[in-house]
Amino acid sequence: MTRALTFDGIAIAGIGMVRFGMYKDVPSAFLARDAGLLALHDAGMTLADIDEAFVGYIQPASMLGIKAMKEFGLTGLPVTHIENASATGLVAFREAAWAVSSGRADVAMALCFDKMTDMTGTGGRGAGRDQIDAPILPAAYFALWAQRRMHDRGTKPEHFAAIAAKNWNYGSACPFAHRRSDHVVTAEEVLAARVVAEPLTTMMCCPADDGAACVIVARDDFVRARQPDRPLVRPLASALTSETYSRGHTFVGPVVGPATMTRDTAELAYEAAGLGPDDVSVAFCHDAFVNEELEYYELLGFCPEGDAEKLVAGGETGPGGRIPFNTDGGLTARGHPGGPTGTAMLHEAVLQLRGQAEGRQVDGARVALTHLVGGGSIATVNLLGVEGVGT
Amino acid sequence: MARVPIEEGFFRIPDDPAEPPRLLGSRCPSCGEAFFPRRLVCAACLHRGTDDIELSTHGTIYTWTYCHVPLFGKKDADVAGYGVAQVDLPEGPRVQSILFGGPGDFSIGMEVGIDLETLRQNADGDDVVIYRFRPAHVGAAASTGSGPATDGAP
Repeated sequence: MTRALTFDGIAIAGIGMVRFGMYKDVPSAFLARDAGLLALHDAGMTLADIDEAFVGYIQPASMLGIKAMKEFGLTGLPVTHIENASATGLVAFREAAWAVSSGRADVAMALCFDKMTDMTGTGGRGAGRDQIDAPILPAAYFALWAQRRMHDRGTKPEHFAAIAAKNWNYGSACPFAHRRSDHVVTAEEVLAARVVAEPLTTMMCCPADDGAACVIVARDDFVRARQPDRPLVRPLASALTSETYSRGHTFVGPVVGPATMTRDTAELAYEAAGLGPDDVSVAFCHDAFVNEELEYYELLGFCPEGDAEKLVAGGETGPGGRIPFNTDGGLTARGHPGGPTGTAMLHEAVLQLRGQAEGRQVDGARVALTHLVGGGSIATVNLLGVEGVGT
Repeated sequence: MARVPIEEGFFRIPDDPAEPPRLLGSRCPSCGEAFFPRRLVCAACLHRGTDDIELSTHGTIYTWTYCHVPLFGKKDADVAGYGVAQVDLPEGPRVQSILFGGPGDFSIGMEVGIDLETLRQNADGDDVVIYRFRPAHVGAAASTGSGPATDGAP
């Protein structure tokens, strides 16, 4: 059974995104169009160059992706919808990368978009108010995880607040972030914000927003020909898993899945790429609620189990640290519209690997890790590297 | 006044208001694993066909939180917040549920019992209810938390 893919002879051709925010009066197809046109421009291409497209969103509606693709023109290319909750964008990218790596396409596009401002009540997870899992706030499910961590490991709300402040301050340095504070955010400010679900305050939770982001993957000789002066960024490996059954599994509710799912998925991705956590220069994770980020430091292999708090205390995941996390502000500050979250994450990973992340650049970044979980639930981990890594 | 579940198939409401509701589960006749909610295929051993069971009315809190927002779908607009827990039942299933009580009433490992929360009235005037868990020390007369107990309510 192949749960991890290794990619050969492919590279990132182009990236583009619309800054996440509130675009109440802008149709989602226009957000998608603008992100896609930026990516096509970045790649030096038009729709005529695209052999296949994978479109993703989590709004409860059909056909939106096909319709959005028409904004670029009508060339008859195959278009496939991808939906994996919060992980949609990374999974659309995985399919685009595999389409090229497998040889069936020379160039493939992953285009994702969403409008949380169009969704109401239940956060778009499909439960009407007459369904068993409707009444409970989604943030509660991650707060449950945080409370158990505090019980087991002695973690303090201050640890979560430090991660949130780090992400807010990264967001201030990123022009694509939704939340850009006009002052340096402190852990004290995060803790003083309104509590949503104990111990999580509003500043520890991602915003609801709109946006679009696009990644184009191509044969590496195509990318070299179009962009000869740019550092080549390669997708190296991708792992995707759903849950395995264990006692204590919860079936009802917007299930966030067992923590081990992220650990197992990361191990598959590392093994496929022939890399380990020590090779990673910059990492991105599902920090919809910042207590998740603390857990993922361990589960993605960046410190032993029980040591994540030390990583936070030492500032190891911020600017100048051993393993900077979520340099665009993450879901906390860059935003989390749903579908495009993963492709926006890749946008930042590629900027870092190209050395173009002005004001937040990780020196000498060579390998980036992108991780998301999707409710239901699934986990995906993808590794990208500059030329010469993993080959 | 009749009580109807928010969604059919997850719990049984007894005719006697003094009786607790029962969560509807399954047990695999092959490997013995128990599940909530009911399912046809065993998630552990993949055996097709399970036996219907009713799960215990008590369990222990694995983890909990308290949400400082109104409970979605509840009619009383003045409800400030509600507790949420994962409750481990003796048969094995871990159930996510609303808790009855205030933010200071819960701890990990605490024993809780099941009862019903009234969310609203439907068009027929029936009470729409969902299961919830409650620590033994939080009484039916308590005014904090997610609202008054349904037991004995008019």
